[in-house]
Amino acid sequence: MDNSQVYKKLRDKWITRHIESQKSLFEKHGATINNFVNNTRNFAVGSASALMLLSSPATNFLPPPHTIVHEAKIPVEKSVFVASDLSSLVPDEVRELTPSEESSISGVLTRDFGIKVVPELNGIRLNRTYGLIGAEQHLMRYPGDTMDSHFDKVSDDLEYRGSGMAPGLGGWGYFAKSKEEMTQKDADREKYYIAVQSFLAPGFAENTREYISFFKFRKMLVVNPDNGHAIVADIGDAGPGIHTGKHLGGSPEVMRYLERVDGAQKGGVLYFFIDDPKDEIPLGPIETKQEI
Amino acid sequence: MVKHFYSFIVETDTLFMEIDSLEISDHEKEHLKSLAESNIHHAVLDSVLSKLSELDKDIFLEFINSKNHERTWKFLNTKIRNAEDHIKNAAAEIKKELFKDIHEAKKS
Repeated sequence: MDNSQVYKKLRDKWITRHIESQKSLFEKHGATINNFVNNTRNFAVGSASALMLLSSPATNFLPPPHTIVHEAKIPVEKSVFVASDLSSLVPDEVRELTPSEESSISGVLTRDFGIKVVPELNGIRLNRTYGLIGAEQHLMRYPGDTMDSHFDKVSDDLEYRGSGMAPGLGGWGYFAKSKEEMTQKDADREKYYIAVQSFLAPGFAENTREYISFFKFRKMLVVNPDNGHAIVADIGDAGPGIHTGKHLGGSPEVMRYLERVDGAQKGGVLYFFIDDPKDEIPLGPIETKQEI
Repeated sequence: MVKHFYSFIVETDTLFMEIDSLEISDHEKEHLKSLAESNIHHAVLDSVLSKLSELDKDIFLEFINSKNHERTWKFLNTKIRNAEDHIKNAAAEIKKELFKDIHEAKKS
């Protein structure tokens, strides 16, 4: 059996076992679990959280069960259309895009997502718009925020605790003055932050104050061109260093949604400014407006 | 890997080394490790829940939810005889299955 078959065989077997054991758990203990979920303030939603409670982080790596057993019935994700639109525009090699490429790609993203996406805004641009993304850690949102206080949902705790918390603060300090004063917007800004090499932006040295003000929590559309997954993120930190070979960093949640990993298999993402003067576009995953 | 309340008594290094020995990509190895961890997690939870009354199941879930491993163990030790061994055995059983799967996949 070739190596890819070994992986597939084990993967399918273990996914099937995982699903069966989950089903068995609910058959035996479902009443208690559902009761717990529905009566515990730490759970925001119902049965879906119960499933997560009883799942380790692997669950979210799994394709839906029907994609394993009946591969011919895989539903087409909308993101596939984005990937398809980008496939002829994004170079195979992760490199700086030419102005012409940036124009074409931002045009496609603007059309696909229904929001204005640009490589340059208010005369300011970053050092690049296509780069290798690395994994960042969680950031302290307010004084005293720790990994024990960082997650509202157990499912998030299980999934993202392993990324750890950065020892220092983000580029703009705390996101809120205290836990009590933290708004959903503050929490989302940490959850969906990216770190960009703002210090390498053309003109940064000459206009540091203006540039810092511009970059602070600036919304960007970050897209994995390989799968079409896209997320509205905000600039929450500066980095990574030039010596890392990476061009930007993503929060654990951003990385997971984009399906990008750090290390030897790190991959490229497109990142463009979102022109949102009225602050109307929510942070987080975004789907194409294209109809299937 | 996520630290569960039972992580200190359920050893997974040898299983992960076995997965690492497969000639597959790093991403595939990570995925298999996550799946293995999921399978172990379910086996452990099932073994514990099956030993508890309905009321105690609620309390146990609360402790898991709070991530307070010390309290979880204090509770389990009062409710399940030889709780550690019970969990170790449940994990060992599923790990044995997982090892067997790997060996079969290697041979075929």
